[in-house]
Amino acid sequence: AGCSQCPGTPLSPLSSPPTVTSEQIEHLHRRFKQLSRDQLTIRKENFDSIPDLEFNPIRGKIVHAFFDKRNLQPESDGLADEINFEDFLTIMSYFRPIEMNMDEEQLDRFRKEKLKFLFHMYDSDHDGKITLQEYRNVVEELLSGNPHLEKESARSIADGAMMEAASICVGQMGPDQVYEGITFEDFLKMWQGIDIETKMHVRFLNMETIAHCY
Amino acid sequence: SQGIIERDETPMEKEIARLHRVDFEFSDIFYFCRKGCEAIVEDEVTQRFSSEELVSWNLLTRTNVNFHYISLRLTIVWVIGVIVRYCFLLPLRFTLAAIGITSMIVGTTMVGQLPNSSVKNYLSEVVHLTCSRILVRALSGTIHYHNKENKPQKGGICVANHTSPIDAIILTNDGCYAMVGQVHGGLMGVIQRATVKACPHVWFERSEIKDRHLVTKRLREHVADKSKLPILIFPEGTCINNTSVMMFKKGSFEIGGTIYPVAIKYDPQFGDAFWNSSKYNIVSYLLRIMTSWAIVCNVWYMPPMVRKEDEDAVQFANRVKSAIARQGGLTELPWDGGLKRAKVKDTFKEEQQKNYSKMLVRNGSIG
Repeated sequence: AGCSQCPGTPLSPLSSPPTVTSEQIEHLHRRFKQLSRDQLTIRKENFDSIPDLEFNPIRGKIVHAFFDKRNLQPESDGLADEINFEDFLTIMSYFRPIEMNMDEEQLDRFRKEKLKFLFHMYDSDHDGKITLQEYRNVVEELLSGNPHLEKESARSIADGAMMEAASICVGQMGPDQVYEGITFEDFLKMWQGIDIETKMHVRFLNMETIAHCY
Repeated sequence: SQGIIERDETPMEKEIARLHRVDFEFSDIFYFCRKGCEAIVEDEVTQRFSSEELVSWNLLTRTNVNFHYISLRLTIVWVIGVIVRYCFLLPLRFTLAAIGITSMIVGTTMVGQLPNSSVKNYLSEVVHLTCSRILVRALSGTIHYHNKENKPQKGGICVANHTSPIDAIILTNDGCYAMVGQVHGGLMGVIQRATVKACPHVWFERSEIKDRHLVTKRLREHVADKSKLPILIFPEGTCINNTSVMMFKKGSFEIGGTIYPVAIKYDPQFGDAFWNSSKYNIVSYLLRIMTSWAIVCNVWYMPPMVRKEDEDAVQFANRVKSAIARQGGLTELPWDGGLKRAKVKDTFKEEQQKNYSKMLVRNGSIG
């Protein structure tokens, strides 16, 4: 038993030793086969079959993140048309919970990778900066269902947040200065001191004797 | 049934409030991101349309996903099992089923010739019960009926959760019902035409089922006659894998009358009764059933329920659904069984967006 496609490949850009058990990989593999309808790769359309995902207002961005090459391999860019199981696991590894035995340096790298994943979600044109327009897009997507909220209000939220970001990153700006966009370094600065590692993870249950559906 | 990932059930408001430093932030996206990932790893609905996995193997290859060689002794036991099931049990069961179906058709046709009278009704019940019992033997069915004092009475409507086409036979083994369903062709059609002569089953033409008012009208007429047998309806509308109960369609609950809920739970250890209609057609399904070890199930008759004054059909349907789920030990889902084949409506996504934006407005972040 076990995953025949990836025997012992290192799991992810998070280059700490893989501590996902083979049982968990088996389950993910079964899930992958279910989503891909027994094909070797998944395409965007395959995510349409998940009803629970429809609840999510940023569903589009999440699915997009799976095919974003920046998340799949370091230093690459563009969009993939389809992903195989190894890529699927790579994206899943961004949601790994913290392990007890991690040291400072590993924790720091861990955190950076997770934040990078989020950064890529905001930066939709892949230019390395989150511009005001990109930020507005995200806010609009999160809020578009409410008929009472006009576009203007959504905009003013986005503008307010960008101003706050600017003040953290650049400090006081002169009257002629234009804030071009949030770079990844600025993004990291914004998150200093805030504990995100425990917010952005998916924890697997101990699966020894549970009967479940495959 | 339990999932494979740990889910944080904190409501959205609390979770996002925890993340906030000021009103709206980049942080909100965390919550939705994580929820999205959880949904991708495992979702409540899709897993209901495939068979339940067993903790320990029951010597049927079909219930073992990771089939691989363990030991010679086990393989020999398994081979013996295959021989017993295919060469001994299958022909026996097939013969019994043939006898059962033939008796049903012949018996009901003969009874149907009689003029309407209490003798005819009595004979019709005898024929239906006997043939049902033969068919249950043909599947090696072992059924435990609980709370027989709550058995559905005449003039009532019996509702049950749906797992397979044999649910109907399981119930008619113990009592007589008027069935409701679509007219089919082939052997099924022959059986339908024969049985309706003896007993007032309600078979609809394809075109009629689309007209909901016509359906409701015919059912209402049937229920109003207190001397008629109770109607048997499966409100989910499709086969679910017997680990959960999905949305009950409100049509059956608009008719009025007394509802007699029944919960059916199969024991998967002896054979999987679930019909995955997207994977198997009816013939291969029946073949699998007849080559399983047995069909073991529990049937609970529950106390009758009526619609309350201030309840509408949907709320009533949900109340009955909860009662059945609780009794049978199944989980309850608000989703429609039709999702087996169709996509989710956009209105669900809009719900979530509305909730989130309401939260922001309340926090005063919008001037």
